[in-house]
Amino acid sequence: MDLEQSLTIAGAGMKVQSSRMRVTAENLANAESTAEAPGGEPYRRKTISFGEEFDRAQQLGLVSVRRYGTDPSEFKSEYKPGHPAADEAGYVQMPNVEPLVEMMDMREAQRSYEANLNAFEVSKKMMQRTIDLLR
Amino acid sequence: MAVEIGPKAATAAYRKALERISGGGSDAATAMPSFGELVKSQLQDAVQAGRLAEQTSADAMVGKADLQQVVEAVTAAELGLSTVTAVRDRVVAAYQEIMRMPI
Repeated sequence: MDLEQSLTIAGAGMKVQSSRMRVTAENLANAESTAEAPGGEPYRRKTISFGEEFDRAQQLGLVSVRRYGTDPSEFKSEYKPGHPAADEAGYVQMPNVEPLVEMMDMREAQRSYEANLNAFEVSKKMMQRTIDLLR
Repeated sequence: MAVEIGPKAATAAYRKALERISGGGSDAATAMPSFGELVKSQLQDAVQAGRLAEQTSADAMVGKADLQQVVEAVTAAELGLSTVTAVRDRVVAAYQEIMRMPI
């Protein structure tokens, strides 16, 4: 049934948005994670991309996580002579995480999740109202 | 008088007999599944969906299933069951309506 299928599709959409939220939380949590010793790499920002996944058995166009990647942009450098990971000049490599960008990503994930939630709710309501016709 | 014996007469007799059975008999709907069977099979589907929902909830408890999957399974079970009960109530009501009919 189409409405039941739309429940599945919306569920898949919610699932990928929660994965995205997880990645964002990981980036935010590690925004200050540096290397243990000088010369090491700090935390590298993670990215996520989505893709359409066609379910042949049920003829559904679902969404799924295509791949988890890393952001290749440059690390920031901060002057912190007392830091254990500081080099001879006193600079520490900081992660390439921009909290503002992560916040935007988080908000986007939230809105997309809500959109899918609404699709789920409306499909359910449509089915329920149809069944209510019998009562 | 001459009694016709042949394929034509046989088919005509067969058709006549068939008409008599389906016209006067009470089990005209033997080809269709009975209401009891219908409810039974639908209810089995609903129970199956309920079991799946329970299984998914249990999986989610141990971290093997997502929250979305639980909601999806529970919603499917709920809607399936309410469809069956709505149909059943409707048909039983119609039956009672007939039973109340003054003869």
